[in-house]
Amino acid sequence: MAETEPVRPDPDALAELAAREGRGRLKVFLGAAPGVGKTVEMLAEARRVHEAGRDVLVGLVETHGRAETEAAVGTLPRLPLRSMAYRGQALQEFDLDAALARHPAILLLDELAHTNAPGSRHPKRWQDVEELRDAGIEVWTTMNVQHLESSAEAVARVTGVRVAETVPDSVLAGADAVELVDLPPTELLERMRAGKIYRPEQAERALRGFFKEGALTALRELALRRTADRVDADVTDWMRRNAVAGPWPVGDRVLALVPGNAPADAVLQQARRIAVALRAPLLALHVELPGQSGDPGPGLALAQQLGAETEVTTATDLPGAILAHARLRNATHIIVGRGDPPLWRRLFGRTLIAALARRATEFTLHIVADAAARPAPPPRPAPAWTSWLVVPLLVGAATLVCGALDGIVPDAGLGMVYLAAIVAIAAATGPLQASLGAVLSFLAWNYLFLPPRYTLTIASAQDVLGAVMFGVVAALLTGTTGRLGRNVRMAATRLVALRRLAALSRRLNAQATLPELQMAVVEEASRIAGGPACLLLPLDEALATTLPGQFAREVAATDEPVLRAITPAHAVLDEGAMASARWAMANRREAGRGTATLPASVWRFVPLTAHRDGEASMLGLLGIRPEQDRPDPEAGRALEALVDQAVVALERARLVEAAARDRARGEAEALRTALLTSLGHDLRTPLTVIRGAAETLRVSNLPEATRADLLLSIEEEATRLARWMSAILDIVRLETGQLTPRREPLALREALENAAARAEKIHPGRPVVLEVADGLPRPRLDPSLLDRVLENLVDNALKYAEGRVRLGARREGAQVALTVEDDGPGIPPADLPRVFDAFFRVHRPDSVAAGSGLGLSICKGLVGAMGGRIAAESPIAEGRGTRITLRFPA
Amino acid sequence: MSPGAPIILVIDDEPQIHRFLGPALEAAGYAPLRADNAREGLRLAASRGPDCILLDLGLPDMDGKEMLERLRAFSRVPVIVVSARDREAEKVAALDAGADDYVEKPFGLAELLARLRAATRRALQAETPSPTVTTGALEVDLEHRMVRVAGARVAVTPREWDLLAALARDLGKVVTQRHLLTAVWGPAHAEDAQYLRVYVGQLRQKLGEAARLLRTEPGVGYRLVEED
Repeated sequence: MAETEPVRPDPDALAELAAREGRGRLKVFLGAAPGVGKTVEMLAEARRVHEAGRDVLVGLVETHGRAETEAAVGTLPRLPLRSMAYRGQALQEFDLDAALARHPAILLLDELAHTNAPGSRHPKRWQDVEELRDAGIEVWTTMNVQHLESSAEAVARVTGVRVAETVPDSVLAGADAVELVDLPPTELLERMRAGKIYRPEQAERALRGFFKEGALTALRELALRRTADRVDADVTDWMRRNAVAGPWPVGDRVLALVPGNAPADAVLQQARRIAVALRAPLLALHVELPGQSGDPGPGLALAQQLGAETEVTTATDLPGAILAHARLRNATHIIVGRGDPPLWRRLFGRTLIAALARRATEFTLHIVADAAARPAPPPRPAPAWTSWLVVPLLVGAATLVCGALDGIVPDAGLGMVYLAAIVAIAAATGPLQASLGAVLSFLAWNYLFLPPRYTLTIASAQDVLGAVMFGVVAALLTGTTGRLGRNVRMAATRLVALRRLAALSRRLNAQATLPELQMAVVEEASRIAGGPACLLLPLDEALATTLPGQFAREVAATDEPVLRAITPAHAVLDEGAMASARWAMANRREAGRGTATLPASVWRFVPLTAHRDGEASMLGLLGIRPEQDRPDPEAGRALEALVDQAVVALERARLVEAAARDRARGEAEALRTALLTSLGHDLRTPLTVIRGAAETLRVSNLPEATRADLLLSIEEEATRLARWMSAILDIVRLETGQLTPRREPLALREALENAAARAEKIHPGRPVVLEVADGLPRPRLDPSLLDRVLENLVDNALKYAEGRVRLGARREGAQVALTVEDDGPGIPPADLPRVFDAFFRVHRPDSVAAGSGLGLSICKGLVGAMGGRIAAESPIAEGRGTRITLRFPA
Repeated sequence: MSPGAPIILVIDDEPQIHRFLGPALEAAGYAPLRADNAREGLRLAASRGPDCILLDLGLPDMDGKEMLERLRAFSRVPVIVVSARDREAEKVAALDAGADDYVEKPFGLAELLARLRAATRRALQAETPSPTVTTGALEVDLEHRMVRVAGARVAVTPREWDLLAALARDLGKVVTQRHLLTAVWGPAHAEDAQYLRVYVGQLRQKLGEAARLLRTEPGVGYRLVEED
């Protein structure tokens, strides 16, 4: 940290603080050995806060049969334990689900390092604690220092006892408070002998092993130092958060390099030891090199368990990347493994260590011996013997060619043929095979073709030179061609992976519906995992995609997973699998086989989480039933890619469906608004007229003609109201799909004649001209519905027509077309697409009798219900006129 | 119809409205004049000089506000707006733009005729403004800034006086909240409708038996009702 910078709270520190908020606090009562009184101390403090009115719950307390501890629980409420059957034994275990459901403010949970009974959700109790804290519950717990991962080694040396139950350092480092419960060793031994710690028979055993004064003193020192570290860290934390500009010592930082192709245990353990000794933070770095294989995953996981901050970068220059990172993070110490570099690199000083030693001038460099054995190199794709078989085959072939060319080409020239064979071998297989090929080729060439023939001696100086050149060229070819071949093969592998990814992406994007897409994802997962696969959705999500919009939202949001797709179809999810699925969905983390949660399940569930508007939302779970606990790196990467792709595709599909739902809702909304407006206008005007005319009629001195006209207007308006009401009912019936038309063969001429006759009666003197072709088919239509349509259209046409209205019918291929034409002012082009919308009215300054704006919309609905289509054209002649055409299947 | 009958210009695009309003107005002693759209209405208002205009707000060629602005450019003729209840905002805008009153569709004939009478009478009064406005038991002396109820003097604060005077000047007419707020508290308080509720409440207490004359027009404004 630059001292010249203005004093400002460290953003990292604040972010960390923010991350802690919302999470439950963790308080650890740390002791040096069993019996120092951690549990009693924890209970005493719990009683104090309980009496002060806080909601304290005892989740589990190990009394070890000690009366003192039992008494210390006092009146604190206790959570009932869960009985678990294991190998015929009933084990009493902490009930995590009950604790989560009860959700106390503070939960007491003894023995952080405890290993849960097989079949529990988490293998370790500290994982239970993490989940409780995630749920916002403050947890108080106890722990002995020997259970700390990084102390385990030291404790084993001091006491000769190796503890199996360990807790990652990061858990203790993440605790909000650590309270040291200290008791001088002599007093502890006193208590021990007095039988206050173990029952007599156990005490006997413990006194011989663990409870030796020297060991206890060492453990006590360890515990004190750990707590001191914590205090130090707390002070530093506080200073960073509150922007206190020192003076605090510019601390050391230790950077450990996690190799990808070798175990990292030795490096990391050593790094942790150095970091602890220096009281320095530990950083772990893995540098990905192009073309390098290997999985740094286990190494990075271990680093995290040891409390290191891990980071992965990609670079071509390994030492450069390490140094750049070390400078960036202000590291002072760099820890690297010795590794096992090839001989030539060692000879030429091209090893990583040499490069670091040369360039890392401002760092302390630690080189750690890799004690652990190297794992076997990953198997090569093809069986080894096939590549060796290529060698004699190609050399033999070259020999046959040389035999054929013998006498035509100079002897030395035949070497070229062999060189070609060597290039082929190197490219197809590896450097070792190429070298063997070179040796065989040389022997064959020398023995068969170089004079003196059939000996391995070479006569002329020229041939000796040729042979030497052959050797040099063959060696160079072996190296470069081999490397070239390897690069090509690696590129090809990457290309295959890329192609597969592209194909997957295409496949997912090509799915038209959500169920098809879900099935595609599951099938792809099954292919990758080599076993059954399934997809689960949260209940509300599953409902949202099956129920129509409004209803789905009313179902309470719940995280209950629901199976949506599974392959093969006969695969089943048992109750255990569903338990892991439920956990994975609620916690948005992986669960099941090969994970830290419910590893006993045969299924593994990977959450599909999308990030929308800055918050993560659960799309579903991808479940696979893998053959092994850990997938091989290739399959792991493929699965990760699938998860990414699936999230994008599912989210896209969801958005598309949501948009469609919104659009449908919007249309319904628009219709409602239009209906209300129409109610306002079309209901009110006739009512005003009826009321006004009736009131006027009361006046006695009205002329008889006026009186008659007013009465007529009342009748007309009442009719108008009735028509309008039936139109609204039609619309409602059409919108709700309650209209089922009859289908019967219909004589079109008759229908058109009826429509014309009715028009004549209502609008006398307005001619309607019929133009009906002969030999028309009889389409299957509902006569009364067609009548309503024609009535509406003719009325409409008469409203606008200045001259005649024409009614026509003719055959158009497999269809019949009915037309209604007027010679009115026409429809403005901009309005043409909307004339069939409900409540739409073409605005016209010289508006004649305004309709409800429902007529054409009803016509469209009725025609559609009868399986036909309706279209409007305007203008039709000389810039005027409108033609409405109905088309029905003949 | 007598030659001196007051001319009422009815502007409405619904022919059916004209059909009954025509005979109804004639029977009431007015001379009705028909216009089917805003343009024609403006033309007739300018050429025939009607005594009152009945204006429907749902005209196809021009919105009511624009129509009123154009009309007010050349005429002070009283305008009664005919509108639907669900178009409150349009109604208030029309009143602010210069309309004098409104009736809601479907309206009763008696109510319409009463409004017409009030509007035409006011138009006559406006020409010879009387310094004292009297309605029912209430007497508002605009010249001497005095309020009397049934002959007894009522003491009001200056703000209450301003409010009452603004309503009295437009006796029988609905006055919009915005108009009252602007007139009494100034343009900065044109949206503070709660002032009005408080002051009208105080005024009603002080007016006693005359309080019922100060009527609330929900969502629009207030009206000092005309009574003999």
